[in-house]
Order: sequence, then structure tokens, then C-alpha cells
Amino acid sequence: MKVTVKCFSQVRYHLGTGELIMHLEKGATTADLEKKVRDQAGNLLDGVSLRVAVNQKYTPESVKLEEGDEVALIPPVQGG
Amino acid sequence: MDFGFGGENVIKIEIVSGKIEPFPSEDSHRNDGAELVFNGRVRSTENGETILGLFYEHYEGMAEDELHSLALETTERFPISDLCCRHRVGEIPVGETAMHVSIWSEHRAEGLDAMTWFISELKRRIPIWKWAVLPDGSRIPSECRHELPTEK
Repeated sequence: MKVTVKCFSQVRYHLGTGELIMHLEKGATTADLEKKVRDQAGNLLDGVSLRVAVNQKYTPESVKLEEGDEVALIPPVQGG
Repeated sequence: MDFGFGGENVIKIEIVSGKIEPFPSEDSHRNDGAELVFNGRVRSTENGETILGLFYEHYEGMAEDELHSLALETTERFPISDLCCRHRVGEIPVGETAMHVSIWSEHRAEGLDAMTWFISELKRRIPIWKWAVLPDGSRIPSECRHELPTEK
């Protein structure tokens, strides 16, 4: 299944893009996606704490993804 | 994004890309003895290094929704009247305002408490990030860090 990954701050900086399209196995979870992204980044995201949002809602626990979902990897925020 | 009027709390949340115009100080708040205004401005250094400014990026859609939810929660936690917030994104030169918040309340105590809480929670929850604009014009993610929210 195909999901869109939105990247910000350090994730965007180290991956070199603000958006990725990822192809995942059916039944994949947000934890699976995060691992895949971290592997893709090598060690560049080591020590970077990430929260996850699915379809613009924070998900405190790992959830199963569905075709077409938009997943954001959210480093510590810095508004204000 | 406006929400509420006619005796209820008025909440205004705007994410803007240009210079912030402050919310007007209105005489219509006839029962409010306190008007709190906060302007968060860009400083000239970041981690001791000189910068030209900050570039703010945001998660469009979610940032507005989360800000609105936070503003609503603030009016539920504190007995204030209205809360208005404008947050700027894009490149902001040193000295300019990145965030403007106005709160009206009957007395100063609840207004001050609400302002402090709103800004603290904004810095924990709202998907907005800063990039330092270096003297050569390049940008790197800001080192500034805040705690993750403890509950959501």
C-alpha cells in the first residue's frame, strides 16, 4: 500500500525532502514506517525523538496504516 | 479561523506569511479589566551564533487545527473572555514578531495564567519548527528544543 510521509525540521534536513511516498506491506504500522525511515536515514536521525501524526492527528501509540494515509514524522516542535 | 461570538469566547487563530499586524485594542470588552498582549520576537543569536533571522515551517492544516484546539482548551481551563493568536511562518528577520497573542479577561490573574499556559503548551504541541538563517543565507534546523507533551 502507498502512504505519503511528511517530513519536517531535522527529518526534512537529513532526508533532503519534505515529502516521501512509501510503499508498505498491507497491515504495516506507524512503528514499521518510522523504522523504515530511520533505516533510510542511516544514523542521521539517531537521538532525534519523533512523534507521529496520521492524517493530521497525533497518534500516541503505533497504529495500522491504510492505503492513502498521510503520516507526519514530528521532531520536537518549536513554535512561538 | 474565527470561532465563537455573541457572548461566548471569541477565538481567532491565524497563521500568516507576512509581517504581523497586532489585533486591535477594542473598547468593546466592557467587562474586561485586563488586556494581555504577548509578542514573541526573533533574537539575533541562536545557540550563541549570530543569525540573520529564523525560517518557520509548519504542518499546514494540522498546525491550525491544533492551535485552535489549544485556544479552546485555554478558554475552558481559565475564566478568560477572548483569545486571539497570529503566528507567522516563512522567513522572519531578527527583531520582527513571530507570534502575537492577545487575551482579554475580567481580572489580571486569570489572564496572566492563561497567557503563560497557552504559550507553554503551544511550544510543546503545535507542529511548527524553526530553521536558523545563517550569515551566508543557508538554513539549518534550529537547536532550540522543548519538552514533548506529557499527555495527548
